[in-house]
Amino acid sequence: MSNENETSNKAAARRAVLKKGLQLGGLAGASLAGSRTVQAATPDPLITEIQDWNRYMGDGVDANPYGSPSTFEADVVRRDVSWLTADAKSSVNFTPLHALDGIITPNGLCFERHHGGVAQISPDDHRLMINGLVDTPLVFTMSDIARFPRENKTYFLECAANSGMEWRGAQLNGCQFTHGMVHNVMYTGVPLKHLLAEAGVSTRGKWLLPEGADPAHMTRSIPLEKAMDDCMVAFKMNGESLRPEQGYPLRLVVPGWEGNMWVKWLRRIEVGDEPWHHREETSKYTDLLADGRARRFTWEMDVKSVITNPSPQSPIVHGKGRTVATGLAWSGHGTIKRVDVSTDGGRNWTTARLDGPSFSKSLHRFYHDFDWDGRELFLQSRAIDDRGNIQPTKDALRLARGENSIYHNNGIQTWHVRQDGSAENVEIS
Amino acid sequence: MFMEMQRTGTNGRCIRLRVILLALSAFGTTQATWADAEKGKALFNQCAGCHAVGPDAANRFGPHLNGLLIRGAGLVDGYEYSEAFKSQVSEGLTWDEKTLDAYLAAPMSFMPGTRMAFPGLQSIEERNSVVAYLSTINADGTVTGSVVDDNSVATQSIVKEQEEPRPLAKDVNIPEHGVMHLGRVALDAEIQAWDIDIRPDGAGLPAGVGSVETGGELYDAQCASCHGVFGEGEGRWPILAGGQDTLTEERPEKTVGSYWPYLSTVFDYVRRAMPFGNTRSLTDDDVYALTAYILYLNDIVDDTFELSSENFESIVMPNEPNFIEDTRAEEDWFEASVEPCMSDCMEGDATVSQRARVLDVTPDNESDDSAGLD
Repeated sequence: MSNENETSNKAAARRAVLKKGLQLGGLAGASLAGSRTVQAATPDPLITEIQDWNRYMGDGVDANPYGSPSTFEADVVRRDVSWLTADAKSSVNFTPLHALDGIITPNGLCFERHHGGVAQISPDDHRLMINGLVDTPLVFTMSDIARFPRENKTYFLECAANSGMEWRGAQLNGCQFTHGMVHNVMYTGVPLKHLLAEAGVSTRGKWLLPEGADPAHMTRSIPLEKAMDDCMVAFKMNGESLRPEQGYPLRLVVPGWEGNMWVKWLRRIEVGDEPWHHREETSKYTDLLADGRARRFTWEMDVKSVITNPSPQSPIVHGKGRTVATGLAWSGHGTIKRVDVSTDGGRNWTTARLDGPSFSKSLHRFYHDFDWDGRELFLQSRAIDDRGNIQPTKDALRLARGENSIYHNNGIQTWHVRQDGSAENVEIS
Repeated sequence: MFMEMQRTGTNGRCIRLRVILLALSAFGTTQATWADAEKGKALFNQCAGCHAVGPDAANRFGPHLNGLLIRGAGLVDGYEYSEAFKSQVSEGLTWDEKTLDAYLAAPMSFMPGTRMAFPGLQSIEERNSVVAYLSTINADGTVTGSVVDDNSVATQSIVKEQEEPRPLAKDVNIPEHGVMHLGRVALDAEIQAWDIDIRPDGAGLPAGVGSVETGGELYDAQCASCHGVFGEGEGRWPILAGGQDTLTEERPEKTVGSYWPYLSTVFDYVRRAMPFGNTRSLTDDDVYALTAYILYLNDIVDDTFELSSENFESIVMPNEPNFIEDTRAEEDWFEASVEPCMSDCMEGDATVSQRARVLDVTPDNESDDSAGLD
């Protein structure tokens, strides 16, 4: 077993070097880049010497029956901002967007938001009730739900408070923290309209009240039209069962609408003729305007984008020359039609390259491939959706709403990339 | 301890296994078992809002509880004990199974003046479990070996397999309701157990009554440790009272009195989600009383007020008229459907007007000087 220890020691040493390089940012990066772009002075021992992983066997099958990321990816985790909330049981953490690519968020990295901790529920013990203005109030078990026709749909889930800490100006230094309350998952589940049809919604039924089984018993009022349009009850995410922190064994999916409505640990849906005006749609998730009035039932998540690399947690470490800027765009109104990128703080724009599947109400991936001349950049992205919504500037939002709205900040983000490749969250004029 | 597991048998059919585990070992001098400690760990969630345990445990509203049964009472560094606590320690209080049991049964009668605003655990089994759990936590926050080390817990398992025959298709009755005939009819008692929501028009409101005075006693015992004695909020826990006329200020205070549009929301939320860590433990009369007291803290009623299902709808919340529907569609960018500017869109070079590093509140930094998440 000694060779295993040795390997892991070497691995740790390499990690430390890599980490140091990142911390030093462009300075270390520039010298590294130099050694690569000109002819190497001395042969690279990683090539000329036989490495441990070339010689000694690693683990066999089943060493890790579920599987986990490479130990070299240990920094790629959800992180919280401890001063935001009073207690971890009613708190939030953030998806490491800067470390991901493509459009799917791995299940273990989907941000968490709980109001009473993570409920641990056996699927055998879980029940879904439909009651209220229905012909027949019903109770379903998980095995009942598995007998309905299923669909697979990829949707983003964004917390309405994503970027909410940035209303008064640049505050958090990293897209994980400014934009990480979003994830994108392929759900397997049953269209909600099938479940409602079993109970038979009365003609007086206009609203739904989904409720969670956790100690917060989360509730939100949802108009029936939305439920009949595209809501679903999901039991799988990205092919496997929901994670406990995402509502195992059953959660509501409300495509394009604020994440708080996607009730986790879903145990009941009531049909009514009026909304309920519960805590999460009055005290919270209402948007206070500058004149003291507050908008309520602001459900849709608007057109939005962010450049994930480079960004404060992911500086340019190779110096000038060919580089890839990339980011995410999404809209609760439909698909993303186009993303423009600016490197000079919005003076001039270039249309970025969208790549990967384009699903309605799903994250879209964009790339801007360019030669960096080594001068400072003011990187911005601007998304346009298929409804013609154009992502606004933060100043335009502040002008319309003031600075105390907390929710629905879909303004254009600016990263200042310095000559050394390091990046910072800034506001510009 | 009984555990039921399902597994697929070699013949592909579902077999129910009944595993009977007999935990024979007792640790310490108590009769507590590993199963008790496991149960106590789950019960401890009620305490975890105020008390931390583990290697990184710090003092919160209450002191950390590492090594509680071996460290002596009232000796945690950096924790400011109440006068009541200090006084009992000076009279010789120590923590052992017996004293902890008495304290947990009724904290406020065991120690009048304690800051532990917890009503107590009525069940002796639950108290035993919590004490068993706490006794497994060492002074450094690690868990004592005798609990996690299977070798020291003499566990004997008897596995008995019994096959439950799957129902044959011919024996299954298809219900008549719906389109696909799935699920079963919900019973009235089941609907009553879960359907506790109420609306601004009073729909769903249960019968009951509660006074400001009763509410104050409940509030001091079960709510003040987080929400503050006057509803001012401890730390980042929600502020319940005050903030009137601040909604247009730079730092608005959104409280029940200054912001919430409907009283029904208070009643519904307290009943469905409070107190934090002991949800659904309040009676309907308790919830009426607490709702009345929160109104009193906000100067909406006086101290002789009594709230009931009869007068509930007569209470109008001051900020109700200031809620409007979603008007985002009126903003310029919404469905603008124009070709946005692509070149020379602004005069001059971009200049930085604000940097995140000035505020320096990103995690990994220590500062705590910024607005929290609502």
